[in-house]
Amino acid sequence: MESRAKIKLSLKNISKSFYSRKETFEAINNVSIDVYDNEFLVLLGPGQCGKTVLLNIIAGLETPTQGEVKVEGQKNDGASSDVGLVFQKTAIFPWKTVIENVEFGPLAKGVPKSERRDKARYFIELVGLKGFENAYPHQLSGGMKQRVGIARAYCNDPEVLLMDEPFGALDAQTRYQMEDEVLRIWEKEKRTVIFVTNNIEEAVYLGDRIVLLSSCPAKVKEIYTPDLPRPRDYVDALFLELREKISNNTDLAL
Amino acid sequence: MDCLPGFFIRKSRACKKERVKLVENNDNKIANTMSSIEVENQNRKKERLRLTVLSISGMMIFLALWQISVGFGWIPKKFLAPPTEVLKSFAIKFYDTRPDGSTLLVHFISSFYIALVGFTSAVVIGTPLGLLMGYYKVFDKLVKPVFELIRPIPPIAWIPLSVLWLGIGTTAKSYIIFLAAFVPCVINSYTGVRLTNPVLINVAKTCGASKWKIFIRVCVPSALPLVFTGIRIALGNAWSTLVAAELLASTAGLGYMIQQGRSLVRPDIIIVGMLTIGLTGALMAFAVGSLENKVVPWRVRK
Amino acid sequence: MIEKKTAKDIIFSILPVVSIAFLFALWVYVSGKNPDFFPTPAMTIERLNDLIKFPVSRISVFGHIWASLQRVLIAFGIAIITGISLGLAMGWNKYVHAFLGPIFEILRPIPPIAWIPLVILWFGVGEFPKILLVFIGSFIPIVLNTFTGVKMVEPIYLNVGKVMKASTLLKLMHIVLPASVPAIFAGLKAALSSGWMVVVAAEMIASRSGVGFLITRGSESYDIALILCGMIIIGIVGAVLSVILTYVERWLCPWRAEQK
Repeated sequence: MESRAKIKLSLKNISKSFYSRKETFEAINNVSIDVYDNEFLVLLGPGQCGKTVLLNIIAGLETPTQGEVKVEGQKNDGASSDVGLVFQKTAIFPWKTVIENVEFGPLAKGVPKSERRDKARYFIELVGLKGFENAYPHQLSGGMKQRVGIARAYCNDPEVLLMDEPFGALDAQTRYQMEDEVLRIWEKEKRTVIFVTNNIEEAVYLGDRIVLLSSCPAKVKEIYTPDLPRPRDYVDALFLELREKISNNTDLAL
Repeated sequence: MDCLPGFFIRKSRACKKERVKLVENNDNKIANTMSSIEVENQNRKKERLRLTVLSISGMMIFLALWQISVGFGWIPKKFLAPPTEVLKSFAIKFYDTRPDGSTLLVHFISSFYIALVGFTSAVVIGTPLGLLMGYYKVFDKLVKPVFELIRPIPPIAWIPLSVLWLGIGTTAKSYIIFLAAFVPCVINSYTGVRLTNPVLINVAKTCGASKWKIFIRVCVPSALPLVFTGIRIALGNAWSTLVAAELLASTAGLGYMIQQGRSLVRPDIIIVGMLTIGLTGALMAFAVGSLENKVVPWRVRK
Repeated sequence: MIEKKTAKDIIFSILPVVSIAFLFALWVYVSGKNPDFFPTPAMTIERLNDLIKFPVSRISVFGHIWASLQRVLIAFGIAIITGISLGLAMGWNKYVHAFLGPIFEILRPIPPIAWIPLVILWFGVGEFPKILLVFIGSFIPIVLNTFTGVKMVEPIYLNVGKVMKASTLLKLMHIVLPASVPAIFAGLKAALSSGWMVVVAAEMIASRSGVGFLITRGSESYDIALILCGMIIIGIVGAVLSVILTYVERWLCPWRAEQK
């Protein structure tokens, strides 16, 4: 199955180091991953290990010290293709309403107002926030704010959807709910997703494949493929077995 | 595998050498990382140089325009004095009592002394008052109404009245400076206490601390950053109000000096005065800032 | 237990009244002793009345108030537009900041009032010098606060702009400016109070109209009640301006309702 699938995004020998005066901090060390079209790929790793940096490199916010990112065979220097990024902390603009936030991508591209409004409305409904178009972020709950973030990322017509621990700041209940939501949205609007998390349970629940990263500097430790049908069960025997396997292999963050 | 592009010819020659080394050296990555660090540092130094040059040229252009506009007669001499003359007058005024009767130093000391007296008394009285008002409701209810009545009236507006009541001497001016510095001290101390993290207060309560103890040990230290902000604002207010008071009703001091400079059409003296006023204000602010760093080392800086 | 609480509350609500009453009593007492130096409340009210009815130096009191306000509003308006633009430029582009920054650092510690003699020397005692002075007094705090506001925009918002490939203009108008609004308004408040003080000072020194002039007039003619009335008017107008600014901020920023 994998050999037939198209490769959407590929990371080749990515390394990233940060320099300051005398010392060098190595965040990522020679990471190579192939991401298939429309798959839900999870990057799992302990906290502070360079996952966000890796995502930033894919999004074009940072340049790798070495290596390159290729999107559909073309080298991506961050300026060519579109990427959707859902951030860790809520990054929706507090001064814009929900619909103004969601339509920001098309706005940046110069799409006329009625067209981008319609587009935004579609995605707002997709994430389950119909009726809240004119609400301000301070009126929304944490889960709702992240939904807006997802809608905004989708509305940008991304080649790849990147999510950086989007549910980290939510309480447990909301988190479970949002995990189901994100799968539902993904099933409805299939895109290639790269989802970053430090929660093993979340990784096994969501991912088509799970890339386990070591602690700093980040290296690919192993790639797991949960062979479990969706919707997955947190307490299924196979689920728990895989979870334990990954857990034993995970580095501890300091 | 590329060598990172160098900005200097020298660097790309070094790059070539680097490349030769790489062929021979198995450990590609280390060699590459080394040159990356050097390039990073080079770039940073270049950037800093660029910014410094820009800053210096900004100042130079400003001074040059200033000098030239008077030198070539675009601006008549009676309106503006060129920087060279300002410097000359500055030096001369140190010992020359012309044209207004005192040297620069005398004026400076006169102003500085009054400002210091008014400012210090305001801080000494205002800060504790604000702190107490923030904590004890009795104080708040009693003092606040009076305070809110006095507050909107700018200290400058008090000048004619205080001069009529207290004469042109130092008393009137000290009173006005006091008013100007008093208000921000009280407000900021008040706010500082009000904004104490309730969690900290609760911790103290569970340890059995009395109300007074909580005030001294938790609220006051927690309020110190804002207290110092208030002190800085008070300083600025005091200094500028002093200048105003001296412009209107004084026989000595920096404000008086620049007022005289105007009546005698000596723009060089006016500018000397303005710069001295500015410099003193900046130095005092710096002093308060250093004190703050000593007293409040835990202040969170962004 | 309930009675105890109520008693305390009653005492608390009485205290402010007590202190105002005390102040008033003090006023009556002192003015009673020296009515020449210190007008009684009655005399002050009477003067206020006369002020509204009769002009001072051929201008009604409202004319004076408007004269002062006019100067402030014009200067403030120009300062807002130029100040915010410059602050944005300096905050956004580090080269602009490097080039113009040092000049600002030199001018900043000079109190706006210290400019009065120089400006009067240049332009005399007309309207323009006063407007210029208020401009100087407001411009600098607006620039500095806008600059700080821009610098403190959360990088995450700028990252969103980068990922969405927004143009610089779009980033400035849709991200940087709205994010800096709290800082900008803090600057506006400081600039307004500074500008109001400068105009009063300038009017006290050299003017034929305005609220500052009222005080000078009272001072020249030993009309102390007039001075008091002038001071009260200055205080009220200043407070009203500040309140208006707060309401403008609230109206402009409906998204800040929750945040304090």
